[in-house]
Amino acid sequence: MTSRRNFIAGLLASGMSPQLTWADVGAPSYLSAARNPDGSYALFGVKASGSILFKVPLPARGHAAATHPRRPEAVAFARRPGVFAVVLDCTTGLQVAELNAAPDRHFYGHGAFSADGAVLYTTENDLETGEGIIGVWNAAEGYVRMGEFASGGVGPHDVKLMPDGASLVVANGGIETHPDSGRAKLNIPTMQPRLSYVNLSGDVLEQVALPSEMHKNSIRHLSVSADGLVAFAMQWQGSLTSAPALLGLHRRGQAPRLLQANIDEHRILMGYAGSIALSVDTSEVAITSPKGGVVQVFNTQTGQLRSMVQLKDVCGISAGQQGFHVTTGTGLWGNVSHGGLSESVTQQVQWDNHLMPVAV
Amino acid sequence: MRQTLAALAIALLPSVTGAEAPNAVIAKAVDGHVLPAFSVLAESSEALKAAALADCIPTSGTLLDAYHESFDSWIAASHLRFGPTEVEDRAFALAFWPDTKGFTPKTLAGLIRAQDPDGLNPEAYSHVSIAARGYFALEFMLYDDAMQSLGDADYRCALIRTIAADIDANADAILDGWTNGYAQLLKQPTEGRIYRSEDEAVQELFKALLAGLQFTAETRLGRPLGTFERPRPQRAEARRSERSLRNVMISLEATRDLAVVLSGEDATLARDLESAFDEALALAESLDDPTFASVSAPQGHLKVEILQQSINLLRDKINATLGAHLGVSEGFNALDGD
Repeated sequence: MTSRRNFIAGLLASGMSPQLTWADVGAPSYLSAARNPDGSYALFGVKASGSILFKVPLPARGHAAATHPRRPEAVAFARRPGVFAVVLDCTTGLQVAELNAAPDRHFYGHGAFSADGAVLYTTENDLETGEGIIGVWNAAEGYVRMGEFASGGVGPHDVKLMPDGASLVVANGGIETHPDSGRAKLNIPTMQPRLSYVNLSGDVLEQVALPSEMHKNSIRHLSVSADGLVAFAMQWQGSLTSAPALLGLHRRGQAPRLLQANIDEHRILMGYAGSIALSVDTSEVAITSPKGGVVQVFNTQTGQLRSMVQLKDVCGISAGQQGFHVTTGTGLWGNVSHGGLSESVTQQVQWDNHLMPVAV
Repeated sequence: MRQTLAALAIALLPSVTGAEAPNAVIAKAVDGHVLPAFSVLAESSEALKAAALADCIPTSGTLLDAYHESFDSWIAASHLRFGPTEVEDRAFALAFWPDTKGFTPKTLAGLIRAQDPDGLNPEAYSHVSIAARGYFALEFMLYDDAMQSLGDADYRCALIRTIAADIDANADAILDGWTNGYAQLLKQPTEGRIYRSEDEAVQELFKALLAGLQFTAETRLGRPLGTFERPRPQRAEARRSERSLRNVMISLEATRDLAVVLSGEDATLARDLESAFDEALALAESLDDPTFASVSAPQGHLKVEILQQSINLLRDKINATLGAHLGVSEGFNALDGD
């Protein structure tokens, strides 16, 4: 790590390469936040093999990060309901900018860049009305706030750019929180989660709601394929005795499809899917449940459960060359493919909720 | 033979000191903590229904006493948010708070203005907006001046009776859920059921303890505290009936009881936790401010914040000591997901 940094410092000093790319930081395949053994937090750049390329300190526990499509730059968000996010230069390890929530706004923990990397979109809450907001930030010039628009629902959590580059899909989880009340959920009996598609001017293009008996199924996390298939993971806020499906697939203009295993296998999820990923070829979709300690992989065509891997405190997941890479709160990095866990390495960190792919 | 078995059992015990049979701890928690809490709630809500039937005048001493007693018993059970309380939104139907958008007064006023017949029928009332049900709705009816001068007095009287009867039906349903099924699910974990192992059952109880304290620190205290620059005393829980501090104290006492039960046979741990709870309770008592109105002044704000911090320290302590004692590993992602 030191040599890399010295090398880059040297590059910078000689003025050879003012415009660095992800390749200059060793071409990490993934970013993930984690807790260090001493209790401090950092954002890590990781190879597909699980080896750590670099780490950049974080001021507090992180949640997700938005990775810039070109520059080796990541925006790390505080956990909900946070009021700041930091922009990190992964070459120097330095914070290059800080996003402070606008008055009466807080972040929910996810964000997405425009295709050219010039604009960052963040999920936020309007504290006065409780309505979801997408914040718009100028990533080309110092991350100045440019404006905002409605997210199409309450409690937007994850947001992804659609492959058309002209619209966003938003997981409006339906849950209202307030920084004054910590992580307390304020409106469970009345929540109305939605999957919303909005264009980059904020016009709502399509709203997808679940049947009313599933109104306590908070749509939280997303994975989007190159051809526009949206996979969404949910967290059930009602009684565990009646936990419905926690995984859905959707294409614009069609009805959502809900996927779940048979009742005994489904129950293992404990009503909670923490992260989601579509495989590279979109033939499979996988969800993780840290509460149940399990990864479930489904066939996207048939909707059937293909395999299940029990793994303590598993949460982070992302597509790999083969199957999926997963991370756990016990420091394990592994590959789930062909129905089993392989290539696992354990390191002295506690991987946090999400594993973010880096565009190459 | 029996002696041999016992010796063998001891030899097979994990080497963790202080570990004990989790099934004994679960049974004690269910029979000695959970079921009594919901029995008292069912009894006090029955008494509340009867008091409202006897006299529905909001200034009636017997009605107000019954309201407070029943509300006390809900707060003493309010950390037990799993299983029967979560079916059909029962817990929320008993206590819709925080009400960030003022749904409770809005819905009640709508019912009263329209003289909605649902307000006269406890059965039908179980289908009205959850915001108009439970203790916080009743509090508006009994303590809010604007509500007490709205519409027709006879209708308001009937509505008070209906809300009380609905609370009673709800409390009965929770107790019924516990005695007819859920207590067994927790006490006898089985593969293929909600709790597959004793570890999962213990973890549920442990999580309830921590979640109860978290709610008290972050919501019961956090909402009125707001920020130092902008305190929000109007957001204190049940401030109209001056129960804000009382709720904090009752919940601390109830969670103290659960912490002691979960400490099992480790008397040192039980005493240690008990004294940490007592310190927080002493801080609460010394506030002498039933509605947290004092948060508006810097000195008062600081005092309530100190109480909040002591509860947060208590949560850390419980996580570190009781968590290790019970062998409930705190999953980094599992315990506090997003």
